Amino acid sequence: MTCDRFHELVRDWLDGDIDATSRAALEAHAATCDACRAVMTDLRNIHQTASTLERHAPPPRVWARLEQQLAAEPRFREAAARRADSRTRPSPWSWRSPILALAAGLLIMIGGSLYLLHRWTQGPVNTPFVAGGNPTGNNPSNAPGPALVESIDSELQQAAAHYEKAIAGLEQVANASDSPLDPDVMAALHRNLGVIDKAITESRAALVSQPTSRVAQQSLFDAFRRKVALLQDTIALMNELRKGDQAGAARVASGLNKS
Amino acid sequence: MYVEAPSNLMADDSRLAETELVERCLNGDLGAFEDLYRQHSTRLYNLAFRMVGNAADAEDLLQDIFLTVYRKLESFRGASALGTWLYRLGMNVCLDRLRSKAARQDQATDTLDERLSGAQISGSLAGVSRIDLERAIASLPEGSRAAFLLHDVEGFDHTEVGQLLGVAEGTSKSQVHKARLRIREYLHQPAPKEARPTLVKPAAPATTAAAKQQK
Repeated sequence: MTCDRFHELVRDWLDGDIDATSRAALEAHAATCDACRAVMTDLRNIHQTASTLERHAPPPRVWARLEQQLAAEPRFREAAARRADSRTRPSPWSWRSPILALAAGLLIMIGGSLYLLHRWTQGPVNTPFVAGGNPTGNNPSNAPGPALVESIDSELQQAAAHYEKAIAGLEQVANASDSPLDPDVMAALHRNLGVIDKAITESRAALVSQPTSRVAQQSLFDAFRRKVALLQDTIALMNELRKGDQAGAARVASGLNKS
Repeated sequence: MYVEAPSNLMADDSRLAETELVERCLNGDLGAFEDLYRQHSTRLYNLAFRMVGNAADAEDLLQDIFLTVYRKLESFRGASALGTWLYRLGMNVCLDRLRSKAARQDQATDTLDERLSGAQISGSLAGVSRIDLERAIASLPEGSRAAFLLHDVEGFDHTEVGQLLGVAEGTSKSQVHKARLRIREYLHQPAPKEARPTLVKPAAPATTAAAKQQK
């Protein structure tokens, strides 16, 4: 057997799709050719390790965001309303406080703005980010820059204000119930918000002094995204608590501590 | 295994349960859609995570995938297993995102015509760690990365990978094998692996093998 033929057959061998004669020939060649034997050993190790790679569960905030997006889907809303009517049961979202619903809606809006900002920060290098009204990139449609940053900042502040109210209301309700909110969770939430706000302030300052810095642009985007993610985790936590799902709340709370 | 089974082999009650779940989702049952999400989100999240290489983008992608799932659920006819249908849709969303990003950055997305015999490599690896393998996967061109993830990581066979990616079975075989050879080449490189792109790991690990046992 030639080494070229070996390379053709080793693929079938790995896939378990080889007849006994070819397999014997393959193994006989590997026994006499160091290079081909090394290929065989390495590929088998790679193949075996691939099937043992770790799986990671998505953070709870993804479902929380998706739930909100579904609630905004006209077709889903109509179907849910029809279903609620037929069962004379409240809509799946009726238990939410108006403040929390408003904050959640704002987050969806911010998500759209962040996507634009993300696209923009992936654009051409050396595009002024803060100085001047418009960046000088090659793509004019990718030029929302400073205005977009201001807009996201403003939207985030509004959403954060609603969250503060919702969190305070929830704390009051929870403290009066048999299962009060864990003070450590609330402390972690406030602490993380503080850290992220500081990062936003610092990234904005860095952009003022270095408007074309891709690192500074990306840092600001990352800080915005972390804040949205943390607020979304908060929605998920509130949802679990309102549903009375302590295990779910603990799962979300552990994520908050890692934010 | 979580793969499309021929309709005559798939248990009727499983197919019926899937059809009922889809029907409930279409009728605006949020709990049913949450069930659908809980059943399939971890696998799709890991696929997205390994395709895009970071947790934040993977979260966005997972959200996009399931929103697309809802919007297209009406077109699910039950011709394939629901999981396979979701995987195909999920992979399309991932590849669309990567191609859109590559187009914006004017990047070449694949170069599959290279000769990868490994002839210049001497000796075999002492072993393959998961973390090095994750880095090597992240370095692959998107086409062979997708095929490798579906075949060697997720356990689909080449016929299924071909269906999921919309390519011939032979193309799947070729892509997966090139991916393995590229990974081998990557792992043999002497440069410090810390300097290469790495995947940020989210919390709550569970092995693919464990997940497969749950199926």
